[in-house]
Amino acid sequence: MDRYGLAARRVARAVLGSGDDADDAVQDGMIAAWKALDRFDAGRSFRPWLMRIVANASLDLLRRRKVRRATAVPETVVSGGIPPDRAAEGALVRDRLKVALLELPERQRIAVVLFDAEGYSHAEIANILGVPEGTVRSYVFHARRALRGALSDFKEGE
Amino acid sequence: MTESLSFDGKQDRELGDQLRDALEGPEPELFLARMRDAVRQARSETSWDVLTRWAPVGLIAAAAAALVFWFTLGRSALPDPGTQFIASAPARMEIAPGQSEADVLLSTIMEGR
Repeated sequence: MDRYGLAARRVARAVLGSGDDADDAVQDGMIAAWKALDRFDAGRSFRPWLMRIVANASLDLLRRRKVRRATAVPETVVSGGIPPDRAAEGALVRDRLKVALLELPERQRIAVVLFDAEGYSHAEIANILGVPEGTVRSYVFHARRALRGALSDFKEGE
Repeated sequence: MTESLSFDGKQDRELGDQLRDALEGPEPELFLARMRDAVRQARSETSWDVLTRWAPVGLIAAAAAALVFWFTLGRSALPDPGTQFIASAPARMEIAPGQSEADVLLSTIMEGR
């Protein structure tokens, strides 16, 4: 579980934001996965199966708790301007990405994080989200465009 | 970051790194430890724990079932002391024919049977 725990946490944080809800969702998902282990088809890949449970747990929690999208823009983003030192710039990029992610539809967030950050294939993500592969490609495309747009200031500043 | 906006099948490593960095939660080791504990706790909940949790409910259900059984089947299977008394009453009445109400009482008892 350790092997997948941090990746699952990143996906949950993409869906639920960076509060404790994400950790709760991963925990719920991991426990649900353990309890459903006897129903897991050993002939299939474990990683997408587990991630599907965690993604569903995150989406369920999002609906249950009616987690509001983060409307508060982090201080660093509001202040504007790219600070000279790289660490501060890194923090700005992180904040900007978090805000941009939370503005995306949930499934687009999951798709782009699984594809670009976690290395899942379109087919695996399609299986996780229960949508056609073409839909996943579309999710990734639109999410990337939005995220790249949000980071365009930093790109230009390089 | 790759600028291509096509539906390409290649991962954007730079965006991926930035996403991982942005989504990394605090204290990952602590998080993993908490997760391990939660799963271990769920795993250690054996069938005995489940039975223990359900034991009071089970006992109440068993008691209720026993009561229902008693009132439906059990009572009819046992001899009723009241019935015995009534059944024996006519015999006593019959050996006392001199009393005027005896016939009325006997017929009442017999009708009730």
